[in-house]
Amino acid sequence: MDDLFLSFVPVNSILHRLDPRTKIIGLMLASICILKASSFMEITLIMFVFLILLFICHLPVMHFVRSVRPMLLFFAILFLVQLFFTEGTVIFSFKWLSVSYEGLVLGTIITLRFVFLLLFASLLTATTSPSRITAGIESFLRLLPLKHIGISSHDFAMMMSLSIYFAPLLYDNFRSLRDAQISRGLDIKKEPVKAIFSISIPLVATSVRRVEEVAMAMESRCYSGIGRTSMYVMEFRRMDYLFYLLYFFIFSFFTMPYFKGYIII
Amino acid sequence: MSIDVRNVSFCYNKGTSLERRALDNVSLSVEKGEFVLIGGEVGSGKSTLIRHFNGLLKPQSGLVTVSGINSTNKAVRSKAVLLMQYPQKQLFGKTVFDDVSFGPSNFGLKGEALNKRVIDALNLVGLDHSVSALSPFSLSGGQMRQVALAGVLAMNPEYLILDEPTSGLDPENRSLLLSTLKKLHSTGISVIVVSHQVCELFPLAEKVVLLKHGSIAFTGTPAEYLRSVSSPLPEVTLLMKELNKAGFNVRDDIFSADAAFHEISNALVKKGVKRYG
Repeated sequence: MDDLFLSFVPVNSILHRLDPRTKIIGLMLASICILKASSFMEITLIMFVFLILLFICHLPVMHFVRSVRPMLLFFAILFLVQLFFTEGTVIFSFKWLSVSYEGLVLGTIITLRFVFLLLFASLLTATTSPSRITAGIESFLRLLPLKHIGISSHDFAMMMSLSIYFAPLLYDNFRSLRDAQISRGLDIKKEPVKAIFSISIPLVATSVRRVEEVAMAMESRCYSGIGRTSMYVMEFRRMDYLFYLLYFFIFSFFTMPYFKGYIII
Repeated sequence: MSIDVRNVSFCYNKGTSLERRALDNVSLSVEKGEFVLIGGEVGSGKSTLIRHFNGLLKPQSGLVTVSGINSTNKAVRSKAVLLMQYPQKQLFGKTVFDDVSFGPSNFGLKGEALNKRVIDALNLVGLDHSVSALSPFSLSGGQMRQVALAGVLAMNPEYLILDEPTSGLDPENRSLLLSTLKKLHSTGISVIVVSHQVCELFPLAEKVVLLKHGSIAFTGTPAEYLRSVSSPLPEVTLLMKELNKAGFNVRDDIFSADAAFHEISNALVKKGVKRYG
């Protein structure tokens, strides 16, 4: 089944118990490190960090393999484009296509960067329930001066959690509609245009109805965007501080060489 | 000529932490022309089982054949036709005609034959052919259900499989649906109905199958069902059992309202109540 893509898996582990804000900041810093990584040494270090996190999050390796799998085609294209269209020392050529050593290195590094971005993102989503992610993001948004332009961070948070709430519903709906039309003889592979129409039209129709119901339900319970509290009380524990310490060391390790003027490309 | 399910097992999310066993070594056969009622609680594997009948799901172990054709062959989809729960959701055509003709045209029917098939299907479910030019979204909920049913009937199936067809219907549409099913059955189509409420369709059924935790807990005729299964029972049967306990001497293997009326009035006459009319 493909519905395990970037989904939350409830297990009890150190990573699951961390404050969502710690994890979100961690993901941001990790993304910066990953995008800055330009040598195999750095990529290996990132892999090392990921393996440690993988070990302490108590989740099966297969979960992460599954989150990368849907993107395989994208990775392949990314790799091949770098491989063939980077100029440098030719190591292999076939008619008008030539593979350069530089292309091979660059292609591998860029592809691995995207793989690790995805892996770290799925580490966040797998260990943090959507509502906690929302609560974390909301508390960050509260720091921004959004109030002055008439938007409350609650509105943002509500929009986010509603869209997270709708994603699985949309997917369920899609699946049942797909099954219904296949039962009526639709061949998705042979007639993709027919498939798009016969599934998307009822999907949009039911979704609009669903949205209206939710809006009505919120109205009838007197929803107003102000003064809402979250079900989760976020607090930093000792483990969170430890993680920030680790972030500091790892992040400065990755960024230091640039300050010193070593630019490795 | 039958749907044959032999030793079928099925797991959702196989090989992951979310693995869930839905069917466990199920064997079942539905003869042509039979009216079968498949009951069981929510999560007992009913929907998974019927998704095997037309090849939407492929058995992870075991074999499903429809009239001798393996269910992995797409040809079974025009023989065994499945109508999902809340089928009004699946309508998408610009007009009712477009929508009803979707199924048969997918199997290559064209022109006058297609026209006739659509009109026949609409008549069969009790709709006037004048609705065929309307948009399906302009119809009432009950009519949308009828159109959806016509949409699968237009495929001229040998086996009609319905998932919870009565859920969310008002009494009027419900009795209309039941009489349509009865009519279809009398024309020789096998009707397979899945419902967690066995009671409503009990009088129509020739065979009752009860699923429990992914395996078959009972198969047999309705009369056998009443004798050997303690729950769930039709309301009428429960009433008769209660009356028996309260000292009225009535038969408790009854499940239709008419028979119950007859039985109760007889019992009352025996007790000395005078009968009028």
